[in-house]
Amino acid sequence: MSRKSLDGKITRRKFLGSSAASGATLAAIGAGLPRVAFAADAVIKIGFLAPLTGPVAAWGKPGLDGCLIWADWVNAKGGVKIGGKSHKIEFVGYDNEYDAAKARTGATKLIKEDGVKFVMMLGGDTWPGVQKIAEREGMLFSTLLPSDLSPETKTLLAPCEVHPIYNVTGVEWLAENKKELKTAAICAQDDALGKPSVATYLAAFEAAGIEMVDKPEFFDPATTDFAPVMTKLLAKKPDILCLDTCYADYVHPLCEQAFQQGYKGQIISCTADFYQKIIEKTSKEFMEGFIFQFPDFDDPAMNSKGVNFVKPNEFYAEYAKRYGASEWGAVSWEYASIMDLWADAAARAGSADPGPVLEAMKAGGTGKHAFGDAKWWGKELFGIDNALVGDWPVVAIEDGKARIKAFKSIPAWWDKHSKLMIKHMTALGQMWNQR
Amino acid sequence: MDLLWQTAVNAMYAASYMSLIAVGLVMIFGVMGVINFAHGELYMLGAYCVVFLYAQENFPFLLAAAAGLVFVGLVGLFMERAMFRPLRDNPLSGLIASIGFLLILQTLVVLGFGRRMGHVPPPTQEKLEVFGAVLTHQRLLVIVAAILLLAALWAFLKRTRFGWALRACAQDAEAAALQGISMTQTARIAMFIGAGLAGIAGALTAPLVSPTPYIGHSVIVTAFIIIIVGGIGSLEGAVIAAVLYAFVHTFVTTFFDGVIANIVGLALMLAVLVVRPTGLFGAKERA
Repeated sequence: MSRKSLDGKITRRKFLGSSAASGATLAAIGAGLPRVAFAADAVIKIGFLAPLTGPVAAWGKPGLDGCLIWADWVNAKGGVKIGGKSHKIEFVGYDNEYDAAKARTGATKLIKEDGVKFVMMLGGDTWPGVQKIAEREGMLFSTLLPSDLSPETKTLLAPCEVHPIYNVTGVEWLAENKKELKTAAICAQDDALGKPSVATYLAAFEAAGIEMVDKPEFFDPATTDFAPVMTKLLAKKPDILCLDTCYADYVHPLCEQAFQQGYKGQIISCTADFYQKIIEKTSKEFMEGFIFQFPDFDDPAMNSKGVNFVKPNEFYAEYAKRYGASEWGAVSWEYASIMDLWADAAARAGSADPGPVLEAMKAGGTGKHAFGDAKWWGKELFGIDNALVGDWPVVAIEDGKARIKAFKSIPAWWDKHSKLMIKHMTALGQMWNQR
Repeated sequence: MDLLWQTAVNAMYAASYMSLIAVGLVMIFGVMGVINFAHGELYMLGAYCVVFLYAQENFPFLLAAAAGLVFVGLVGLFMERAMFRPLRDNPLSGLIASIGFLLILQTLVVLGFGRRMGHVPPPTQEKLEVFGAVLTHQRLLVIVAAILLLAALWAFLKRTRFGWALRACAQDAEAAALQGISMTQTARIAMFIGAGLAGIAGALTAPLVSPTPYIGHSVIVTAFIIIIVGGIGSLEGAVIAAVLYAFVHTFVTTFFDGVIANIVGLALMLAVLVVRPTGLFGAKERA
């Protein structure tokens, strides 16, 4: 085909005609584009260093998808204004496959080769691979897992998700609204994500006066058959089955097993990603009242006055349009909400450089968290006030749909029960000075 | 008592699908002398046959599962022709080639189905109670299918000329060749059966697990432990070791801890190797 084209005779008339047509087409396309002019160098690159493949991809890839919507919206409106100039935002993704060594390689590439100004991570098991680079380069990083925070790395922030601390709100809501629930059993994968979350749930259950029927069940992350795990959890007939912060690949088969083994009690979990598929595998009745922490953003409650996330319903609609509503997950909005904070701070700082942005972001000790105004916090638990903490929603599945039941205050819980949290974190070796 | 029965039922299910995988692995090793590291990915391919045919294209589940057996068997034939036959004289090269092939299979599935877990709606939610233990029809199907397939394999190996040829090649390839048995033909049969068994295991269990392109990693480690305990090359050993491992692992998980169960499983393998380096049925009885 190409050979034929090359051999074809191109006359001067054809050439001029083609050129004119191309020019007219380009002009027409140009007319349809937003009237935003970016200087050649007015592009700010943001690194996205998270698992895009593998079993933890559900907490990386949907976040990048959400960021692409964020970038399209922001760029269409002229980009982020920093120092009087509009800057287009471009995301550079790197798949760390939830592996510390790959995260280290990715961080080096993003900083040295791509010249990013800010790197967003899931964190967890991947953070130790990046920590030294962050400290050496002074690069601003964010994590969804504040258990990564420590006083050594002053440029690591947890500006959105205060995992696992917000899990206390779900247990507190259960204790207030379903007083008949007295006992609980808990399981989690044996890793850096599961353990601090277990400590949090144990503290929350103890604070709520709910007794654990057995010690926590930690299972191998390579587990594929969850029947024995569920048999053990249900053996002592708990009122509440707690699935901790299990990955979606575990929450689904665990729920299916609970259903098949005849469990009819309350389930609480940090996440319920792609919960429609769990309902398909079990039943609407079985999943009724399932408590977790991540709302669908088409929820009417997301329009309440305190919520700072920009156009949550529209964001959800656009996400559903692009990727499908069933693809919405816990992190679909989170990285985008971090970008809201970053863009606001960069605009106020008049610079995209990590130091000034960090300073602007933490100015006054408060910040506009997606779910409401919040404060920079964490010294007692993480050794540094780099987690933005405020209200967090408690979500229940009702008639097959996730609905926000309440926004509850994490600082209020902490003020009453901080000693319990520190006790359980210490017992599982999860305090910042133990890791 | 209910807990004991439930645990036993759980163990029977685990023993069933692990037997299918381990026997397939042993077939390939016994006849061809190749350790097929891509065997876990053959299991994964079987699961994705069900994801595609049953979950996405709405074919009947049993038809999709049968297609999984045939399709993965054909993939096994391709592996034999493209990789293992040219490398027949060098088992180490075959092993390395199988590692490369597993990465290719993973990538192809990622390209075709995405990285996230495949969703397979349950073909049935019916269940029955056995002495207070719950056994779903889907799990019962896996148990029954494993028993029937392994019985059919046993009859094939003991009662047919092809089966005798397979066993002869597994015992002494050169002597078998001198008797006029074609190594190429027996290798093809072994590869088709071995891969097909992994495929049907993946297909039947697909609604019970969360199939991902990486699920093969989880089963291959267990399969290796089982064939080492049973005796590399022994089909009977693989079945008995699968039952032994499944019961030990499931009971320890239920009554102690999942992580301890893994340690106990590995300790079992080490103990067998120390006491009987050829495994429980190694050397004496080979396929």
